[in-house]
Amino acid sequence: MIPGRDEEPEPPSGNRIRPYLQAPVTEPDAAEPTGEDPSAALRPFVLTAGRVVGVDPAIGLETQVTARDGPPQRSLPAGAPELHAIVALCAAPMSVAEISARLRMHLGVTRVLVGDLRATGHLDVHTLDVADPRDPETIRRVIRGLRAIS
Amino acid sequence: MPRQPVPDGRHADTYGRHTEPAARPPNAGWHADPVDPRYGETPRKPTTRRRAPIPVKILVAGGFGVGKTTTVGAISEIAPLTTEAEMTTASIGIDDLHAGSTKTTTTVAMDFGCVTIDGSLKLYLFGTPGQSRFGFMWDDLARGALGALVVVDSARLDECHFAIDYFERANIPFVVGVNAFDGRLAHDINAVRWALAVNDQVPVVRFDARQRLSVRDAILVVLDRALDRALRERGG
Repeated sequence: MIPGRDEEPEPPSGNRIRPYLQAPVTEPDAAEPTGEDPSAALRPFVLTAGRVVGVDPAIGLETQVTARDGPPQRSLPAGAPELHAIVALCAAPMSVAEISARLRMHLGVTRVLVGDLRATGHLDVHTLDVADPRDPETIRRVIRGLRAIS
Repeated sequence: MPRQPVPDGRHADTYGRHTEPAARPPNAGWHADPVDPRYGETPRKPTTRRRAPIPVKILVAGGFGVGKTTTVGAISEIAPLTTEAEMTTASIGIDDLHAGSTKTTTTVAMDFGCVTIDGSLKLYLFGTPGQSRFGFMWDDLARGALGALVVVDSARLDECHFAIDYFERANIPFVVGVNAFDGRLAHDINAVRWALAVNDQVPVVRFDARQRLSVRDAILVVLDRALDRALRERGG
């Protein structure tokens, strides 16, 4: 069950808001023949049921995510291709930023969904594996690695 | 549990492959100690699950059109990818680089790339917008960053002030990289340093964002600064 679904604001009743503020915010753009799926801008927020907070702050751009072996605690909903796509993508280690870019999902949405999939046992999120930027040996390894580039 | 040899010579019980994640100590799961010599040149199987490289990141900051994406692309082993984050304020009419620019959306795009250092360490480079109105997302971006390269166009220095202010306040090692378009600078390095009013310890280097080795050298200056800070903090 996705929390926050019941927190959707009620639709404007029509009388208490000035007319110009009632202008639909999505329709003018959606009516433009942009060549893209007009629902693309809306869809990510539907996926998270509007949630933008409550994300584990340890899930950063570079945090590595892998699909978890073994049976998950529950199966993925069939109507959520994005969730299936994330799990499929993470067969190899993948950063949160890469998931966002490759699936063309907003970063904030990606972080929410990755957190959900960790909670349901589909993904391992290696939040403890971020290197300490103040560890001299890590920095030396990066320096050596870059010097090897030609 | 008996030690099961696995194809790459490690043991299942040691590395947790057949145990539950909760059973492993923090930060000791799917990869060995960074100095473990066994992790030298071992090729990784792409289908191997559950072991992931340790990510490190460097920010490449700067205003629109100064060459951040070019910089990232020059050194990244993958073509730069773009991720989008929501922006809370509209920027209509501000970001126009030229007439017809369509940067009026409420999202901000970040281009990024990566360099695999070795089997267990991967460097990410994130190109980040330099303007102050994106400040809300900087703390997120900068958390855990080794350092930053602030890319400036010597003809348009004003766009990097927020980035410099931010890194100074956040105590993140940074270097100013003056992108030498066409091999020429509008001002010499000393004039740039004076105009930006950066601390004498902040390196101001000239580089060419299109050249892989030039970008590498600029990043190495950043890492040098990062190492300095790390050693200083470890020393006392």
